[in-house]
Amino acid sequence: MARLLASEWIKLRRSIIWLLLPASPLLAFVASWRSSLDSGGAQAWREVLAVGAMVHGYLFLPLLVGIFAALLCRFEHASGGWKQLLALPVRPAAVYGAKLAAIMALAAILQLLMCAAIAGAGLLRGLDAPVPWGMIGMSAFGGWLACLPLAALQLLASTAFQSFAAPLAVNVVFTLPNMLVANSRDFAPWYPWVQPLLAMVPQDTYGFGAFNVSLETLLAVIGGSFLVFLCSGLLYFVRRAV
Amino acid sequence: MIGRMLSVELLKIRRKLLWMLAALGPVGVIGLQAVNYGLRYDYLMKLYGDSPWEGLLQQVGSLMLPALFIGLALVASMSAGIEHQAGAWKQLLALPVTRLQVFGGKVMLSLLLLLASCTLLLLLTLGMGLLLGFDPQVPWAEIVRQSYLPYLAALPFIALQSWLSIVMANQALPLTVGTLGMVLSMFSLLMPAWMPWGWPDRAVRSADALQAAGSGLALGVLVLLIGYAHFARKDVS
Repeated sequence: MARLLASEWIKLRRSIIWLLLPASPLLAFVASWRSSLDSGGAQAWREVLAVGAMVHGYLFLPLLVGIFAALLCRFEHASGGWKQLLALPVRPAAVYGAKLAAIMALAAILQLLMCAAIAGAGLLRGLDAPVPWGMIGMSAFGGWLACLPLAALQLLASTAFQSFAAPLAVNVVFTLPNMLVANSRDFAPWYPWVQPLLAMVPQDTYGFGAFNVSLETLLAVIGGSFLVFLCSGLLYFVRRAV
Repeated sequence: MIGRMLSVELLKIRRKLLWMLAALGPVGVIGLQAVNYGLRYDYLMKLYGDSPWEGLLQQVGSLMLPALFIGLALVASMSAGIEHQAGAWKQLLALPVTRLQVFGGKVMLSLLLLLASCTLLLLLTLGMGLLLGFDPQVPWAEIVRQSYLPYLAALPFIALQSWLSIVMANQALPLTVGTLGMVLSMFSLLMPAWMPWGWPDRAVRSADALQAAGSGLALGVLVLLIGYAHFARKDVS
């Protein structure tokens, strides 16, 4: 497994991904730096984080997870790489796991950049309260965790489709409804694609522990859809003809 | 000649996902609005009072713009991807056709598919309004304007995405640029008028709609020329 991860790293090392990763944090940085605030003190940090999280989590984060998945599978689709990779003495399930881990590792780097972007925006504005690293960190971690089911589904779509854009089309179809779902009190907690946003925007009313989503949502929606997507993806990948 | 290039391109996308995608955009937008109206019919009807058509157009527009922005990136990427995947650029350019025709054919394909999407959206919006029993006095001018002016205003992006998708083998960059464009376009109200990301939205709101569409057309042609100049000199692999 460690070696499979190392091979994913080699494939990614000099790829275009490093150019793409800062795009969303930069945009979130500009938005949370320039937006107007209503409050001061610690509450101002909450607002800065909320603006950045909206810009990043609404559409960008779910769509980027799809781009990561498509990019990681592109190396294999491009030149008969699946055959070559699976001809090695490795289990297909381990290959699949390594790809998923690589997607989530990229998402983790993205979320770390987001933390830096939010902290930087708040500091540049000269907010008087100290940087609330706990709140920013939990927001980033919650958003990362909520990306798990999306990553699993996108990996399934990316292994199934040869074309780069086709799995992204799947992703867009599920992510665009966020624009309506996010406003709905009844449906938002149940829709997996809006969870990264909900998990990142700080909320006062409900929330489990330091998380911004409730325990039911965390377990049932994020965990449940992750399991469903992961199992169907694994079954498909292990059984399909290469 | 360009007509024949276009018919070749159309032949290549037969039985491909691309058609489905072009249809899926408007069907998805109207489908979501159907759910939206189904769930909150009373609220929405009260909100828009005696101008239900304007309300419907406003609701459809708010979803249509992001769908158009990401849809044009996907369409451009998929139509160029046919050649990238098969490694067919060399073969295509070895045929007795000019690079202008090859480039033009791909761009025309994207333009045609997106125009078909906009037309389908027009018909579906019309159908939904009539099904909901709105006033049969259909505001034709507004529906036509909302369906096609954003398309013209989005031309620079269709040109940009076609160019990027054609010259780059790795579609990750063009598609991230497309996603970035979609997210940026959602902040069009905060943007100064010269930023093209706000133009499709301006083309929906009526005050300077024609100006936004006209600027889009002009900048679109300019980006196409730059893209073609790059493609004409580029070594394909």
